[in-house]
Amino acid sequence: VLQQPNGNPKDAEINAQALPILVQDTLSAQSADIDMVSGATVTSDGYVQSLQAALDEAGI
Amino acid sequence: MSAAVVGLPGLGTHRQVEHVMGMPISVALRGRHATSTAGRAAWREVIDELRRVDRIFSTYREDSVISRLNRGEVTVEECPQEVAEVLALGGDAEQQSDGAFSVTLPDSSGRLRLDPSGVVKGWATERASRFLTVLDDTDVCLSAGGDMLCHLADPGRPAWRVGIENPLDPSSLVAVVPVGTGAVATSSTRHRGEHLLDARTGRPAQGVASVTVIDRSLTWADIDATAAYAQGPHAADWLRGRGRTALVVWPDATTTIVDGRATTRPPAPTNLKQQPLNGRF
Repeated sequence: VLQQPNGNPKDAEINAQALPILVQDTLSAQSADIDMVSGATVTSDGYVQSLQAALDEAGI
Repeated sequence: MSAAVVGLPGLGTHRQVEHVMGMPISVALRGRHATSTAGRAAWREVIDELRRVDRIFSTYREDSVISRLNRGEVTVEECPQEVAEVLALGGDAEQQSDGAFSVTLPDSSGRLRLDPSGVVKGWATERASRFLTVLDDTDVCLSAGGDMLCHLADPGRPAWRVGIENPLDPSSLVAVVPVGTGAVATSSTRHRGEHLLDARTGRPAQGVASVTVIDRSLTWADIDATAAYAQGPHAADWLRGRGRTALVVWPDATTTIVDGRATTRPPAPTNLKQQPLNGRF
C-alpha cells in the first residue's frame, strides 16, 4: 500500500526536470506565466486574496 | 490579467475550483477532456471522494470517524480501511523523521490525540487524482490548498509551471518549478498561523519559513515537507540526507536549493521498516 519515496528510476527523470528556479521577489504570478501556486496551506478563508485565486479567476 | 495558458495551439488550460476540507481544490486541465463531459464527470468524482475522505478524517467534525476514534467510540478495526492505511503512513513518517512528524499531537488542552491531517491531504489528493489522470490525451494539475500533483498525457508536452509562493510576502513568488509528471508540496505557517508542531516538543517549529519538496509521490512530498519544516534549522540537511529535491526559504529570506538529482539512490527497499533508505535511519 505504501508508496516508496525513493528508488523508482522514474524519480530521477522527474527530478532532472524539476529543480526550482529562483526568481526575484517582485515577480508576480502573471509575469512568471505559472499554472498553479504552491504555498502554505491556503485555507478557504485566505484563498480570496491568494495568487491561486487570481489564477483560478483567469478561467479558461 | 491573462489566463496562464501555456504551450501548444489548441491546448488551452481550463480551470475549476471547489472548496473541500476547508481549503480550495484547484484543477487545471489541458487537452481532449479539458472541457468534455467526461472531464467534468471526473472532476466531480475527485470532489466527491475528497468530501468522503473529509467525513472520515476531519478533526474539526465531531461526527467524523477520526473524532469517534479519538473519543474511544470505535476501534481502528471498526473504521473504514483507509484509517488503518493512513495511520500506517503516519507511523512510517514518524519513524523516518526521527519523531519530528507524528499523527499523535497534543490538542488545545494538552491531551494527546490522533490528528492525521498532515498525512491525509497529500494522500487523499494523490488518490483522488486517478479520476483525472486516466483521461485520454489530457494533462492534469490538481492542487489541494497549494500541494499538487502534475501529470502529462505525453512527455513531449510542456511541463506545468508551478510558482512557489514567497512565505515572507505571499503576493510574490520565490521560485518557479517546471513539473511534467510529479508532485510539489509546501509547508509553511503563513496562512494558518503557527499550526505546524514539532511532535517531539509539542511546540511550533521555528527556524524555517517554508519548505517545498518536489517528488514523484504527493503523499511523500507532503509528509517530507512537513517533517522537514518541523526540523527547523536542520530542514535542508535532513532533506539532503533523504535525497530529496527541495527549496527551503529561511526567515531571513535566504534560500537553499537541495538538489536530489546528485544523490545516488539505493535500490528500492521491499519494506520501509526493515531496510533503511539511507544511513540516517
